[in-house]
Amino acid sequence: MTAESVLSIQGKRSSGTPVRTENVIAASSVANIVKSSLGPVGLDKMIVDDVGDVTVTNDGATILKLLEVEHPAARVLVELAQLQDEEVGDGTTSVVIIAAELLKVADELVKQKIHPTSIIAGYKLACKEACRYIQNNLTMNTDELGRDCIVAAAKTSMSSKVISIDSDFFANMVVDAAMAVRTSDGKGGYKYPIKAVNILKAHGRSATESAIINGYALNCTVASHAMTKKITNAKIACLDFSLNKEKMKLGIQVLVNDPAKLEAIRQREADITKERIEKILKAGANVILTTGGIDDLCLKYFVEAGAMAVRRCKKSDLKRIAKATGATFLTTLCNLEGEESFEPTYLGEAAEVTQERVCDDELILIKGTSARTASSLILRGPNDFYCDEMERSLHDALCVVKRVLESSSIVCGGGSVEAALSVYLESFATSLSSREQLAIGAFAQSLLVIPNTLAVNAAKDATDLVPKLRAYHHSSQIKTEHSQLKYYGLDLIEGQVRDNKKAGVFEPTLSKLKQLKFATEAAITILRIDDMIKLEQEPSKESGYQQALKSGQLG
Amino acid sequence: MATKAVPAPKTRPSKSEFKDKEKPAQIRSSNIVAAKAVADAIKTSLGPRGMDKMIQDGKGEVTITNDGATILKQMKVLHPAAKMLVELSQAQDAEAGDGTTSVVILAGAMLETSQKLLTKGFHPAAISDSLLHFSAKAVEVLESMAIPVDLTDNASLLKSANTALNSKVVHEHSGMLAPMAVDAVLKIVDPNKDQNVDLKDIHIIKKLGETVEDSQLVDGIVFTQKSQGIGGPSKIEKAKIGLIQFCISPPKTDMDNTVLIRDYAAMDRVLREERQYILNITKKIKAAGCNVLLIQKSILRDAVSDLALHLLAKQKIMVVKDIEREDIEFVCKTLGCRPIASLDHFTPEALGTAELSEEFQAGDSKFVKITGVQNPGRTVSILLRGSNKQVLEEADRSLHDALCVIRCLVKKRFLIPGGGAPEAELSVKLTQYAHTMKGMDAYCFRAFAESLEVIPGILSENAGLSPISTVTELRNRHARGETHAGINVRKGSISNIIDENVLQPLLVSTSAITLAAECVRSILKIDDIVNVIR
Repeated sequence: MTAESVLSIQGKRSSGTPVRTENVIAASSVANIVKSSLGPVGLDKMIVDDVGDVTVTNDGATILKLLEVEHPAARVLVELAQLQDEEVGDGTTSVVIIAAELLKVADELVKQKIHPTSIIAGYKLACKEACRYIQNNLTMNTDELGRDCIVAAAKTSMSSKVISIDSDFFANMVVDAAMAVRTSDGKGGYKYPIKAVNILKAHGRSATESAIINGYALNCTVASHAMTKKITNAKIACLDFSLNKEKMKLGIQVLVNDPAKLEAIRQREADITKERIEKILKAGANVILTTGGIDDLCLKYFVEAGAMAVRRCKKSDLKRIAKATGATFLTTLCNLEGEESFEPTYLGEAAEVTQERVCDDELILIKGTSARTASSLILRGPNDFYCDEMERSLHDALCVVKRVLESSSIVCGGGSVEAALSVYLESFATSLSSREQLAIGAFAQSLLVIPNTLAVNAAKDATDLVPKLRAYHHSSQIKTEHSQLKYYGLDLIEGQVRDNKKAGVFEPTLSKLKQLKFATEAAITILRIDDMIKLEQEPSKESGYQQALKSGQLG
Repeated sequence: MATKAVPAPKTRPSKSEFKDKEKPAQIRSSNIVAAKAVADAIKTSLGPRGMDKMIQDGKGEVTITNDGATILKQMKVLHPAAKMLVELSQAQDAEAGDGTTSVVILAGAMLETSQKLLTKGFHPAAISDSLLHFSAKAVEVLESMAIPVDLTDNASLLKSANTALNSKVVHEHSGMLAPMAVDAVLKIVDPNKDQNVDLKDIHIIKKLGETVEDSQLVDGIVFTQKSQGIGGPSKIEKAKIGLIQFCISPPKTDMDNTVLIRDYAAMDRVLREERQYILNITKKIKAAGCNVLLIQKSILRDAVSDLALHLLAKQKIMVVKDIEREDIEFVCKTLGCRPIASLDHFTPEALGTAELSEEFQAGDSKFVKITGVQNPGRTVSILLRGSNKQVLEEADRSLHDALCVIRCLVKKRFLIPGGGAPEAELSVKLTQYAHTMKGMDAYCFRAFAESLEVIPGILSENAGLSPISTVTELRNRHARGETHAGINVRKGSISNIIDENVLQPLLVSTSAITLAAECVRSILKIDDIVNVIR
């Protein structure tokens, strides 16, 4: 008697090998979707969602996020891509492909009656050994190679994206932007908070007319056209409240017996705000940014004072501006005496604040901030999809630059690391006499999926190129005089094997290490599952209306 | 018992069913089969090389787990006898916290043996009595092989926590989680006095992001909220902490009220009054010497208004809001402060003191951590991190198991070897004991003693070893007097399991045997199922 027929549960249950195979198939089908987008010659996906919004992208994490995968095992892979995106920001496609390949090979081994736990142990060992090997043998220090290699790493990240043609231009832009937001972490090192790089998109004109601005670009306009559009030596006030006519709170009623008093109250309403504005202007502010609104009525005070006022700014933008200019972000004017006041110390400073027209939109640019440098990128492109994809690509590149700068360690791209690891792990496996040998061999085999997919995507002969690459790496590992060959990788345009160190195809070490670790972890999570229980949805208690509708009472 | 529910014979046409002598046997057999199926379902998750189960509930939420109690709870079995086994694992979870899978497997094996005995014509009551006797004897044997342990012996505690974590997904982090569990429990107990541990004093805070390795034990308290207010301090040394349960926002009466304004000057007054009111509160808080303010969550109105946050920030008071009501007790115990329900009681005596209160960044989110508490209560917080929801949940369950194991050792300070050694030893010893007995008991004893071998059998099967050769070798070793011989899963052989540092608390095994025996006895005694139709 089988367990299924006896154990009655509220749902479906399946166990043993079929579950594993099913999970592996689900995982591979996810990987197959993103496979063709890997590498410099990878192609893009167009995803249309249920309301008809279109996304065109090459980024693995974005593709998978939009897919709405249902199978629980496949969802593990989607989450894996998201994780890589959060932790590193790049290499999201590779991590999914490696994890799926690890699973596929493991499933084969299980079918040959090797116990999953032995495979899991082998995978863990292999992953540990691989990470150790990368760190000891394959990394290069960026300090020796200089700025060029950082630009090259950014270029490598962009090479698979729409902006690959102008990658020189964008790579320099990205590196400049990352450098501009550099802050000290107080321990002698530096941090690169790339979130502080403000990316604005405006469609129209060509991608090469994108620009980097040394300052902060704000996607808002001045509140009134009568205001001046340019102020030098700006004194900036950042406010988090509205400068509207004061409204009384709920529960407060105004009772007027005399119509003459009505006017007085109306006047007072306006005056409360007017007094506030006067306090701010008196302190010397000539640029006022607020997250709230400003009444049209009140705008005239600013116009008269020759100040710029910007309403409805984003709170996150304002916080950053406050940091960059040294201003205090105020939520209220109240001081410790219970009165309202505005001190000149609350003001931030910038060399220039201007409003400029970019495409159809007008932007406010804050240049020459006093406390810290800031940078913003304005992206131009023929259409919105293009701009969106540019933003994602630049985000990836920014992440890469940040990782390289922070860890100052890189490895060669183009399948070089994977080929080296595969050769190394195979010889490592043969040195073991335990049950893990086969699993480590399988791990080594599955790493080759990266160079293979790269070659296939580039319409090159993978069966020819990959063995060549492996041969180079093999000789680099056994002959000391050939050790320079370890930087060899694929050249996908020419269809050759070349020295990727010279060619400048770099990836951050951190990205590769995390890829291996995350992929192994995800594969193990799925491999460990030998039982799947799907419970049925509990009958939902619908509202009386819906029940009535269903039963046809409403006609 | 169920037979009481049999209706008066003349009113129901179905009375013939109950005259059927086969009926009780069939019911019993169907109960046993259903209960055994539960044990079969989770047996693959036993042991260090056990597998996981993926459970997708009706809403599509996925749980991946190795913990027997969790699997069974999520599985929603339908058969009433099967449900008894689910409850059984829950009982083990509450009692010992670990061994929730073994207890169900033991019960399954005992049921199988009972079924064989039943077919031989044994009366269920006789089997049941014999089982009671058997479990008592088994506990005796287990106690005789137990090794006393001292709570100051950190190494032994670590080993047993490690054993509990071994079968979980997070076991590669056991080197970090096990000491964490040991430290946490030891911190909240007084080894000389306490006979029990209230695990509620260990606050586990789960936060998505980073990896399990970044989890940490905090001697103090962690709030997952960030500190409020812009421009306020994010680090305070020599913190004076006040916990308030009232709100710092414009006052509101219980009844509906309206303020009538007849004059424009009154408008100014209303606005100023509000400012003065809030300012007054904040000044009083400052005057009491408080520089870290914790505010209980309020659902009726804003616990703290923007204006108040601004004023508090100006006075360099760190604010953490939205403290859940159920956490208040824990917070007070940890920080040694009193909850303050009204401003009049806001006095320096009610405040707690700590060395440091600071906001720190972990991944994308910010936390507030208070450490170095003066006159701390016996509490501890653990901040658990995980890369995805499933891992985080499973890490939480695993850590709970490890904590329970240490708790067991506080309750009953004895260790026994793991790795199937106690079961093999019981089996051998009790078979020998059976030879000294006479009658039905002797027969039942021998059969049950054999059934205990199911645990080493499944352990070896899950580890990819051959169950028959492993179990027979294990039996052989134990017969020769090697009490500590167990299955060494890592090497795939039989060895002295104590050398391998596989240890578990005595309480886990004794409670597993007694609970399983009791559950089997109650299943055996059922001879009818009456479905009450509503």
